[in-house]
Amino acid sequence: MSRTATAWTGTSPHRRKAPPRRCSSSAPTGILGHDEFIRVLDGGKASLEIALGAVIVSLLIGLPLGAVAGYFGGLREAIVSRFTETVMAFPLILFLVFASVQLDAQLTPIGWGQIFPRGVFAEALLIGVFTSFYPTRLIRAALLPLRDAEFVEAARMVGASSWRILRKHLFPHLVPTLIVWGAIAIATNILLELGLSFIGAGVQPETPTWGSLLSTTWGTVYQPQTFNSENFTVWQTVFPTLFILVTVVSLNQLSEGIRRATEPRGAR
Amino acid sequence: MRQLFAFLFRRTLGGLFTIWALFTMTFVIYWAIPNQPASFVYHAPHLSDYQIRHADHLLGIDKSKLTLYGEYLWHLVQGDFGHSWAGAGFTLVNNDKVTLFPVWPQLSSALPRTLSLMLGGAFLVVLLALPLGAIAGKRIGSLSDRTISLIALVGICTHPMVVGLILRGLFVDHLHWAPPIGYCPITAPSGRPSPGQVVSGFGGGCGGVVDWASHLVLPWVTFALLFLALYTRMIRASVAETLPEDFVRTARAKGVGELRLMLRHVLPNAGLRVLTMVGMEIGTVIGVAVYIEAVYSLGGLGSLAVQAFIGGPFGGPLDLPVVLAAVTMIAVIVVVGNLIVDALYAIIDPRLRFAHENMRSKSLAGGVI
Repeated sequence: MSRTATAWTGTSPHRRKAPPRRCSSSAPTGILGHDEFIRVLDGGKASLEIALGAVIVSLLIGLPLGAVAGYFGGLREAIVSRFTETVMAFPLILFLVFASVQLDAQLTPIGWGQIFPRGVFAEALLIGVFTSFYPTRLIRAALLPLRDAEFVEAARMVGASSWRILRKHLFPHLVPTLIVWGAIAIATNILLELGLSFIGAGVQPETPTWGSLLSTTWGTVYQPQTFNSENFTVWQTVFPTLFILVTVVSLNQLSEGIRRATEPRGAR
Repeated sequence: MRQLFAFLFRRTLGGLFTIWALFTMTFVIYWAIPNQPASFVYHAPHLSDYQIRHADHLLGIDKSKLTLYGEYLWHLVQGDFGHSWAGAGFTLVNNDKVTLFPVWPQLSSALPRTLSLMLGGAFLVVLLALPLGAIAGKRIGSLSDRTISLIALVGICTHPMVVGLILRGLFVDHLHWAPPIGYCPITAPSGRPSPGQVVSGFGGGCGGVVDWASHLVLPWVTFALLFLALYTRMIRASVAETLPEDFVRTARAKGVGELRLMLRHVLPNAGLRVLTMVGMEIGTVIGVAVYIEAVYSLGGLGSLAVQAFIGGPFGGPLDLPVVLAAVTMIAVIVVVGNLIVDALYAIIDPRLRFAHENMRSKSLAGGVI
């Protein structure tokens, strides 16, 4: 997206326009004279990378855990369920703040060359790890009633291994649930990233994300700033918010559509 | 009735387990990551081994970790949250005695602030969501339905921090409709703040029910705007589901008025869903409180927890007793809240008493926590 944005407009998110203009209708600029439009587009790239990356990470963790809990049952289920319940009782953002502050030095430099901007991978990883409890529970709940279904028993009878039953017979049942969850989770992860930026535990401001764009105007939880028209334009708030709104609404619609299409009874 | 108590007893045990597990996890993680408690006593970039051992002795942590864990847990069971390490360096006398301040005063001043925000906000959400959801659910797809859904969605996509700062800038700083930010204790004697006082929320000068409520109106509105979307949608769906039912037709045939029909026959059906949701969102709400407390300088549990987890606004060593106290307090609030919800649930609808454990999932607002 960044490359496209740069190609469209022939400028980059880090290049400054001089002199900074206030409330110019075509190209409002930030406090440092950055082109806000480019920063919003580029921030969208980072935000969506974080959100999508986190969904993938939490699936990678949640799928095996949920499968173990839902399919095998017994002690393994008890351990996984207790653990997820305990962790879910606590406010997620506080875990994230704690982890991102403590692990910042180790994780931030990971970017795999220039594939991800600085700090994006770290945040995706952390959000993914700490949100992986939701798919775990979802998968467990979806597998519980299927565990003793006739088609599973039939497969077991002809000698299929547990791994094969899970892969061939049970995972296809999970796909609609997981797609619906994934669409919602991308939306919530975008909002989580916003929240982390406001605590100052997110991606550093040199990498624009929707969260860090908003926190330049509104400060952090230690130093909240009310709106100051000397230094900021309303567009710096309106555009990131509008982009988030559009993204969240379309993801919501997508998940609603998928749910409707895959619901076997065809009800609401 | 016996069944009900057995159920509640089981849930209480589960809750105690949750509190214990979070406490233990925090303790283990604290000692697993690099931390230097000695830097609370000696403010120097490099500490000698002697200084570290001496500081550990002064802070009372020169024991095996297991003994320390047992000690902390035993104190906690007795209701003692221990003593904060912060400021130990400033009270160092003759290099062999430090004065540590108990954590409980910090917690007990933060607790009513967060609870006021949570309970008042929740009340406002229900108050607004019921009529809005009923109107939208009655005419699905109409203009009013769409408008309500759109406004609710805008509320959820704008971060509470931004909403709060916009409201604060407009109503406090610009229009002066709302009193200055800060918290007024409900129990303190009421009195008019002196005219020269800029911020009446700190210390004396304000208190009583009126001051308490007027200072919390904007935080409550901010809170409500975020959660409104979720509850409106839920009530809307429930109303839309219930309206075609037979008993609604019967009630209409009896000649029940529309308002009474809604209040007595349709809306109670939404109550169960709302209750389930409330139970799941208690942790979320404390996360949201972090931002709202920061915007309106309420100084509640959320701010306390963030400060404790980061080690102050500029980073720094972590103050284990404060971290443990914050984690335990939040866990207690979540567990107690869930117990109350479970009890209400079991009383309202005995059929679902054991079923709803698998229905737990998080809402979209969960992302903001």
